[in-house]
Amino acid sequence: MPTETPRKQFQSPKKPKQSPNNVKSQSSTPSIHLSPQTPQLPLRRSSRRSLQPFTSKTVDEMLDLSTPRKALEDLDGIGKCSGNNRKESSVRTPRAPKCKFNEEDREIPEMGKVGEGNGVVEDAFCPVSPEALESKKTKKGLSEEGSVKMGKSPKCKLNEDLGKLGEGNGDVVLPEKRKKGLRNEESVKTRKSLRCKLSEEREIPDLGKLGEATFFPVSPQALESKKRKKGEEKRAVTRAMATRSLKKVNKEEKKGRKRVYYKKVVYDGGEFEVGDDVYVKRREDASSDDEVPEMEECRVCFKVGRGVMIECDDCLGGFHLKCLTPPLKEVPDGDWVCGFCQARKLGKDVEFPKPPEGKKRVRTLREKLLASDLWAARIESLWKEVDGSYWLRGRWYIIPEETASGRQPHNLKRELYRTNDFADIEMESIIRHCNVMSPKEYAKANDQGDDVFLCEYEYDIQWHSFKRLAEIDNDEDGECANGDEDWNSCKEDDSDTDEDMEYEEENERNAHARPSTTHQLAANSRKGRFFGIQKVGTKMIPEHVRCHKQTELERAKATLLLATLPKSLPCRNKEMEEITTFVKGAICDDQCLGRCLYIHGVPGTGKTMSVLAVMRNIKSEVDAGSIRPYCFVEVNGLKLAAPENIYTVIYEALTGHRVSWKKALQLLNERFSDGKKIAKGDDRPCILLIDELDLLVTRNQSVLYNILDWPTKPHSKLIVIGIANTMDLPEKLLPRISSRMGIQRLCFGPYNYQQLQEIISSRLKGIDAFEKQAVEFASRKVAAISGDARRALEICRRAAEIADYNMKNQISSVNSSRVKDVVTMADVDAAIQEMFQAPHVQVMKSCSKLSKIFLTAMVYELYKTGMGETTFEKLAMTFSCLCTSNGEAFPGWDTLLKVGCKLGECRIILCEAGDRHMVQKLQLNFPSDDVAFALKGSKDLPWLAKYL
Amino acid sequence: MPAIADRSSSPFKAMLAAKSCELAGSGGCRPPQKRRLRSDTAAAAKESPVSTPMKLKSPRRRLDSSPSSPANRVKKDPSEKTLKKCWNPRDVEQIRAVKEAVHVSTAPSTVVCREDEQKRVLDFCKACVQQEKAGSLYVCGCPGTGKSLSMELVKQQVIDWAKMEGLQPPEVLAMNCTSLANTSVIFSKILGMHQPKKKSIGSASPLQHLQNLYSNKQAQSSSKMMLIIADELDYLITRDRAVLHDLFMLTTFPFSRCILIGIANSIDLADRFLPRLQSLNCKPMVVTFRAYSKDQILSILQERLLVLPYIVFHQQALELCARKVAAASGDMRKALSVCRSAVEILEAELRESASNTGLTSAEGDFVSPQTALAHEVFPSQENNTVRIDHMALALSKTFRSPIVDTIQSLPQHQQIILCSAVKYFRGGKKDTTVGELNKSYIDICKSALIPPVGILEFSSMCRVLNDQGLFKLGQSRDDKFKRVTLKVDEADISFALQGVRLFRNCLQ
Repeated sequence: MPTETPRKQFQSPKKPKQSPNNVKSQSSTPSIHLSPQTPQLPLRRSSRRSLQPFTSKTVDEMLDLSTPRKALEDLDGIGKCSGNNRKESSVRTPRAPKCKFNEEDREIPEMGKVGEGNGVVEDAFCPVSPEALESKKTKKGLSEEGSVKMGKSPKCKLNEDLGKLGEGNGDVVLPEKRKKGLRNEESVKTRKSLRCKLSEEREIPDLGKLGEATFFPVSPQALESKKRKKGEEKRAVTRAMATRSLKKVNKEEKKGRKRVYYKKVVYDGGEFEVGDDVYVKRREDASSDDEVPEMEECRVCFKVGRGVMIECDDCLGGFHLKCLTPPLKEVPDGDWVCGFCQARKLGKDVEFPKPPEGKKRVRTLREKLLASDLWAARIESLWKEVDGSYWLRGRWYIIPEETASGRQPHNLKRELYRTNDFADIEMESIIRHCNVMSPKEYAKANDQGDDVFLCEYEYDIQWHSFKRLAEIDNDEDGECANGDEDWNSCKEDDSDTDEDMEYEEENERNAHARPSTTHQLAANSRKGRFFGIQKVGTKMIPEHVRCHKQTELERAKATLLLATLPKSLPCRNKEMEEITTFVKGAICDDQCLGRCLYIHGVPGTGKTMSVLAVMRNIKSEVDAGSIRPYCFVEVNGLKLAAPENIYTVIYEALTGHRVSWKKALQLLNERFSDGKKIAKGDDRPCILLIDELDLLVTRNQSVLYNILDWPTKPHSKLIVIGIANTMDLPEKLLPRISSRMGIQRLCFGPYNYQQLQEIISSRLKGIDAFEKQAVEFASRKVAAISGDARRALEICRRAAEIADYNMKNQISSVNSSRVKDVVTMADVDAAIQEMFQAPHVQVMKSCSKLSKIFLTAMVYELYKTGMGETTFEKLAMTFSCLCTSNGEAFPGWDTLLKVGCKLGECRIILCEAGDRHMVQKLQLNFPSDDVAFALKGSKDLPWLAKYL
Repeated sequence: MPAIADRSSSPFKAMLAAKSCELAGSGGCRPPQKRRLRSDTAAAAKESPVSTPMKLKSPRRRLDSSPSSPANRVKKDPSEKTLKKCWNPRDVEQIRAVKEAVHVSTAPSTVVCREDEQKRVLDFCKACVQQEKAGSLYVCGCPGTGKSLSMELVKQQVIDWAKMEGLQPPEVLAMNCTSLANTSVIFSKILGMHQPKKKSIGSASPLQHLQNLYSNKQAQSSSKMMLIIADELDYLITRDRAVLHDLFMLTTFPFSRCILIGIANSIDLADRFLPRLQSLNCKPMVVTFRAYSKDQILSILQERLLVLPYIVFHQQALELCARKVAAASGDMRKALSVCRSAVEILEAELRESASNTGLTSAEGDFVSPQTALAHEVFPSQENNTVRIDHMALALSKTFRSPIVDTIQSLPQHQQIILCSAVKYFRGGKKDTTVGELNKSYIDICKSALIPPVGILEFSSMCRVLNDQGLFKLGQSRDDKFKRVTLKVDEADISFALQGVRLFRNCLQ
């Protein structure tokens, strides 16, 4: 790619040449001293543009490109070729090859051995600049030169260079190309910690002469950025280039208000293609963006260039080989860490040398990105808006610090994460290309320059999960391709309506995205919508849902849902206090002695909820700063595939890594028993909540043993809270485990009816939907049987549903004026009947007529004989008796047998296999009372009652 | 530690030395500390770690000199204690120090009351190292009797001793068998210790490697003895017992260099699982750690508390704790956690009283400052130690049987079930099925005019009772045919339920 780009760029500025009006307008502007062939405006623009994406490292080169006009003026002042464009251009021709030669010269040392090459280059170049300077001076004697201010001095020097080098500013193509080439070479950086930067060879003598070395990078930079901003406002010019690129992609621009999608766009000299990675400006007005990225300075002497630089693998800072103590002769093999980082690792406080007064350390784009002052994105699609602006859809990269888990020790310095977060970005905010590579490529990429990043995982911003790119890339690529195909084909046919709608929708969305292209906004406005083109995740919310005002009953129903988190937890104050003192006592002192608490109680008595509420309270205290931070790991034994997996879960919660349980066990042992730190600075106390502890009991109980053994170790700082239903779990375990479990127990007894009543009414606070007696009735009923709060809530909710249903029926059937919207005793009773009545009663109530008679006959037979068991033969006799005496037709033996078998399948009766026919033994599976209760009220067979 | 070497050479001299040392310690070290204490308790608390070594040594020496006279010690202790000041439980630092002292994880530098066992193990190790022969030892004892702790110390002592004697100190591999992912990993660990550099080579398993290693004579240079301490040895018991067997067999090879110390709870593990070793006449020596007696627990607790420069526990409180725990299990961990919970009870009590006095002190201003001061000082002296009642409360929290409370707090229907079970088992039966019990339950319900719950509900209630430890449910696919046994005494149930007339009538 780097080899191709220059050529294309080479073409781009030429393009406007062909338009004559352009030229005219150019020539009419008073300030031009350029050849008429090269229209100034687009030219400068493009050059500036190209500068922006590709930070030039050599100062004067940057100058010569950014200030061509100034250069010319100076040249005029020199009087060598004042205003004579023709002459200049003629001069240019012979000189051009020389220029190229120079360029080649430069290349050689770069590619070759750096340490030596440097010297060679200096030799090759040194003659040029002094000569240039001298020639100027001798020719003119130039008073200007003497009085140059620091801002100007480099420019002057520049001009001289330019003049010398072939007066190429008649045509920007040349310098630009040269610059391009240089750029490509100069950005070369061997990743293996050797950064070779070819310093400004010519600069050295110049600096020596002018003596203003420290200041001169500043002024061109300011100038540069100003001009860039001006340039940005005019976007129209780029359109021409873009249309050209349109042809490349063989896409014809459609008339009308349509977006045009491109595969490749050449924008301000940079060529951007779908799939490329680019730096994106973070804010339009951010101060950090004003400084144009600079060639990296040495961290010691704060000068750019001057020989080979080496990169520290830890802080990524660059150092001159000479500036190091002791100085290095050549770049060492393998990792190299600078002295500052080494010292820091040893625990010393180190300060990097301060930059000289008045000079700010200029950060490179890479540094800015890693400090999250810039962003990187991957281009997913490119298009032109109707108004002619160019946009791209980017997929953000984020740095590890921006993920939920923060930077982990295993993250490399240059690691990025690809996200599933997309945003529409204007092309304007692109700075330049960067290279984000897979680990494989990254390992190979030795000399790709400074903008090389590694990306191995995709980060899900909603779920905070990581996925290895290698795993998802294959299918996703295919998917993308298909999506593109679809899009293209649908664009081909001119179905206007659909298209327009789409456009409008898109446009609206863009309007959203435009004001600020921040991650945040992008994440929110596009949640769940990928690629913008497909309409995924849109949901119609019908009007009646929105307008409907919730009735009291409906609110009651909602608040009684088990999933609703209550505002307060009544009736468990004592227990919660105990848990609070336990946890606080454990984590508050610096020692953090390990402890264990076992909480037991019947289901539905608020065990887990209380613990979680306590943890929330403590969390808020931590946030307030009154308690030291701790980490809280919650595990539910029921959710583990195997008890051993708990190690994996705990380890993952502590460090964010997922390893096999064996490995996790080993690592956790290291951490808790041996006191080794898994993560740096991770000596926070850890609270481990294990719900359904009894499910961790394996055959040899080693899992529980290990978990309960850790708190008894000196430096574990582990607090275990186990929750289970079984009261005597510790006693059931091996004695060695119960010995380690300690004596701290907490019992959650079943609620009594007052407590249940309080719980329900606290939930229903402010909602007047229940009669007081109804609540009491429900709670008494539940308290008598199980004391399970869940059940009480369910009954009340069900009662509310029944009441709601009844009310709506009343409204629809009779237009009665007074409709009660309160849950009464009757509703609660109905709900209780439903809840506590075993399902078999329902089945019996709803079974067929013959089955009912069959069951009645069974009961009748039972009453008659007093024997639980009967045979089919006897039953059939009874059955026929019942039928004949009540005017029913006897269905026949076969049918009867079939009915019996059906009931047997439902397990309402227990029966032998059906092939025994007459002698088949039958028995009711449920008490006869149940059958009687179920069948007494049956409407179609009222006569059954007298046999029951 | 010259003292140890001395002792090993001649215990008598050591005794003398120890006594003189103690005298010197009490003469030289204590008085300044006392002074400091009086001046500033907080400072003393901070200082305490500094003074610990001196203090720790003295009691052990004393024990050495008179191991069989706990009564002596108990008598001696109060006299010593009078020198100490009462602690101030309101001081966070002190509370922390106390809690740390009685925490399980703070390993004391010496293990009191286990000298005999330690000595036996140490002698065994010494003999092995000296003669450069392999050997195996099995340490058993109830949980919380200081097995692992003693082994830790023995490990260190062996190394120290070997260095002292100029022998090559053995390499030590201490591991807990529960933390092995797979039982046979133990061999690769042992092999890894032998050949730290070499990676496992191909086909042969680590066990085979080890066997080869131990059956052939090797160069002297590489023949370091290896001390393997395997905690919770019974986790290595597999179905075919191969691992355990192989492990012990390693010590029988002619050129084996490993000293194996296995630790487990069961007393007869070696007999049960290693019959073949017996036939080879290399049965491991067995060292048994008995459960602590009350005197031992008391002395251990006191030794731990010696670290603190102030009195925390009343003598009687400690004794009560020791007696109770010794009677129940002799588990030191339990004793420590009882102590801790007693401290917490005191803490909570003080907090409560502080909030109360905060209210009352405002109105009690008219009391003259002097009397108020006296009033303040005297009870605080009394209040600030953990008294016998605190300890009793803590013990009852630990050892009480919560059955009566539990039964009384049960929902009504579950109580009826219990009642029906009692009634059912009156006839002398030992167990029944859920279905049968349901019938009995329904009878009672009917007699009391309470609508009974359905069978499904009934069986789920039985499960809850099972969870509460009142019932024992057998395994069965069908709910109805699960066997039910009552796990608590009938008398408990009738006692708990006697308050309700319904049940009184039922159980008459």
